[in-house]
Amino acid sequence: MTEKKKHNVFLKGPITPAYIADSIAKHSGKTNIGAHDIFLGQVRNDLIDDKAVIAIDYSAYDEMAEQKFHEIREAAFAKYNLVCMHIYHSLGLVKAGEICLFVFVSSKHRNDAFDACREIVEQIKAEVPIWGKEIFADESHVWKENR
Amino acid sequence: MEINLLVFGQLADITGKTELRISDVKNTDELNKKLAEQYPKWPAIKYRLAVNKKIVQDNTLLNDNDMVALLPPFSGG
Repeated sequence: MTEKKKHNVFLKGPITPAYIADSIAKHSGKTNIGAHDIFLGQVRNDLIDDKAVIAIDYSAYDEMAEQKFHEIREAAFAKYNLVCMHIYHSLGLVKAGEICLFVFVSSKHRNDAFDACREIVEQIKAEVPIWGKEIFADESHVWKENR
Repeated sequence: MEINLLVFGQLADITGKTELRISDVKNTDELNKKLAEQYPKWPAIKYRLAVNKKIVQDNTLLNDNDMVALLPPFSGG
């Protein structure tokens, strides 16, 4: 049995370790799961022209992003044998060292979880209209670009 | 006729606003041209256009009250 309940992907501010731990705990009742794969994106303090990034301010084209997340989700369920999947992304300010992306994929056996998780993360970076403004200590900024 | 324009990322730094109304543009090529004329600092970066939440590749006809979004390169995750 698969679970495809819709929930809001966007969370305001950083995704806390407690939130992630709680999400894991919520799966203990789903005993048909044999494998979880989790990807966590963390804000890096990149040096750009000798200035360190202290935070990223995330914004998104919400309606289009939600639609894209839905498509990515549906495609992953169609392609892989998954029990459930959760995607969370921050909006607003996330400091260096804090978590901004949490992808949580569960399946019966490990290969589906591994493969789906990687594919979902790559699709999020390439296809979802989200923008990160990298903020420096002097309050100046540059706009991040995914590689 | 008028369209609604949503501006994101570094392009919003230039327009100073995230939502604009633009009049008298028949298609997306005319819209791009108008923006480049209106904002001398319009950057040479590649951006994509979404018309009513669908990304368009080629010049696309615009209708009254269409929602057009300017999408600079994504940087989520």
